[in-house]
Amino acid sequence: MFRLCCAVLALSIGCAAPAPTGPALTLGAAIPLSGKHAKAGKFFKQGYELAIEEKNEQGGVLLSEGVRLPVRLFLYDDKSDAATAVSLIERLVAVDKVNALLSGYSTPLIQAQVVVPEKYGVPYLNAGGASKPIFKPTNRWIFGLLTTVEKLAETTMDWLALEQDAKRLPRPTRIALVWQNSDHGREYRSGVQGALRRYGDRFDLAMDEGFEHLAKDHTALLIKVKAVEADVFLSDAHEPDYVLQHRAYVEQGLNHKVVSYGARGPEGSVRRALGEHVNYNIAAQWWSPSLPYAQSKLFLESFRNAYHQAPTEYYPALAYEGARTIMAAVEIAGSVERDAIREALASLELRDSLIPGERIYFPAENRYQIDNTCLIVQNKPGGGVDIIYPPNVATGEAIVPRPVR
Amino acid sequence: MTLTWPDLATVVVSGMLLGALYGLMSYGLGLIYGVMKIVNLAHGAMLTLGAYGTLWLYTNYHIDPLLSIPLTAVGGFVIGVLLEISLVKRIRQAPPISSLLLLFGVWLVVKNVLYLSFGGDDQSILTSYTFERLDIGIPVGLTRLLVFGISLLCFGGLQYLLHHTYPGRAIRAVAQDSVAAALAGINVDRVSAMTFGLGSALAAIAGSLMALIYSFNPEFGGSFLLKSFCVVVLGGLESTIGILLGGFVLGLAESMSVVVLPASFQDLVSFVLLVAILVIRPPRTGQKP
Repeated sequence: MFRLCCAVLALSIGCAAPAPTGPALTLGAAIPLSGKHAKAGKFFKQGYELAIEEKNEQGGVLLSEGVRLPVRLFLYDDKSDAATAVSLIERLVAVDKVNALLSGYSTPLIQAQVVVPEKYGVPYLNAGGASKPIFKPTNRWIFGLLTTVEKLAETTMDWLALEQDAKRLPRPTRIALVWQNSDHGREYRSGVQGALRRYGDRFDLAMDEGFEHLAKDHTALLIKVKAVEADVFLSDAHEPDYVLQHRAYVEQGLNHKVVSYGARGPEGSVRRALGEHVNYNIAAQWWSPSLPYAQSKLFLESFRNAYHQAPTEYYPALAYEGARTIMAAVEIAGSVERDAIREALASLELRDSLIPGERIYFPAENRYQIDNTCLIVQNKPGGGVDIIYPPNVATGEAIVPRPVR
Repeated sequence: MTLTWPDLATVVVSGMLLGALYGLMSYGLGLIYGVMKIVNLAHGAMLTLGAYGTLWLYTNYHIDPLLSIPLTAVGGFVIGVLLEISLVKRIRQAPPISSLLLLFGVWLVVKNVLYLSFGGDDQSILTSYTFERLDIGIPVGLTRLLVFGISLLCFGGLQYLLHHTYPGRAIRAVAQDSVAAALAGINVDRVSAMTFGLGSALAAIAGSLMALIYSFNPEFGGSFLLKSFCVVVLGGLESTIGILLGGFVLGLAESMSVVVLPASFQDLVSFVLLVAILVIRPPRTGQKP
């Protein structure tokens, strides 16, 4: 009855899945191909398909000497809706009987989805949500490829400390911190506070205040930011809040030495909304097309050849790496059994990854969420984006303080 | 942290400017409720359509958002009239839940059409004057000032229409007593269609102006619809001047609250105000629009 319900549900929401033909490693994902996250969902689809196509061109996953299995992908459109996403994950697990699950996109949707793999015991490789609540203390089956939001904030603070050392920021540096009142924002705040404890008197938190997501006006908040006369303005905001807040920031004539909106910054849509006012803002990122790693460049080339466009955001790279990671775990396990894949993921240690740090591992003490450092990038005039931290992958000099407009 | 007098003045002015926007986006909702006793859940859809209409005209024909306002207003009016004639009219006598469900359905349809046409990405409009500001002792964004002016113009125009023209008097007559208005020879069907069109046009104008300030996606109208409800309840449900004042009260309350409370309490302030007004002064119907 349950299977029938799932099948009827799947038919009613118009999904597409490959016809079953012979033994294969089956991977599945419910991603937002329509609705508000459709842009990210499309990138995830491209990343998954590219990784699996490359593997199938090699003959499939290598289980043992001379034994290869093709990889088959089940992709469904969750329409950016949490309830639909959960139903589709149930379908993938109970009807399609996939061996492992690939990530959906956006923290709220993934938070809804992960209940299912935990319940049925299916490995789930999360490359689309970094928020901590996804990884519960009892977590065994969810493996996170995105480093935590706290780490984004910590990396930003590490870079600020480096700028202090270079005498481009005063000591102590006064920080005005505002954060979106959500899991994302609170984790960012927690990351900054953790770094402040670590750095002692090198920083002074002049302001620490939350704001409502989709607030209608940020002017009053920015007046408070102005009043504390900070050197650095850190805000953790999603795109609509970033655009509105930075427009008010410019309107009020604020000009800090460093301005960051958390993980937001180099997106084309933000540049279209803010024009040259986005220049010199810095952002913490999970991946950048500017990364100088050979494997990252190889991915860019394959992606361009396959889709005739260059990825400007992290989505396709992380999706690609997520699929590759699962397939690597299957090869290490030498089996497509869910338990075996899980064990392989739990003890995985992959080098030459295209994500910052080039290393993939899922530490149990971090609830199987990767703990790599991330990148700090800075928007430059003319549409350029430079990686400015860590120094070993930097593609340009940081401009600090921001030039006064 | 100490705020100076110019800082406080900036907060007050930003509250007034926000209030004018709140008023503008709520006139249509109040007008339709006043005349037809319908809570227009498709109001958010008209705000969103106004924003996307402006984007479409700007992107494809390079029409400045301010110049596109008459076009989006006419478009909003036509859509509103067609919506009333084809759908709303059929359930005018039905229990209120019917119109709520119908208009909620219209909102969902519009949202999905926008997803299919424009995708789910955040959109925004950057003009040569987006970052222009006037320095009148305190910095004020030009676009916000324009929104303020146009909101007052719309208020004036609406007041003139309602009090000094025959269609306006007919609207007021229907708002007060539709049966008596019909007995006096007023075509209630036509007035209803015109009111729905006018309310939709006002929402489209608001949407056009909001596109100058906010980034938007097909879900855009939802959060503003909630604010519009607050404004309309604060302003007394059916009074245009009340709605404008309600907008100012809400805008000022939200802005001033940030001075003494964390900014994350801004929405809470609106909804506490809404509940307080509903408890202390329950809305009455039958007032003049």
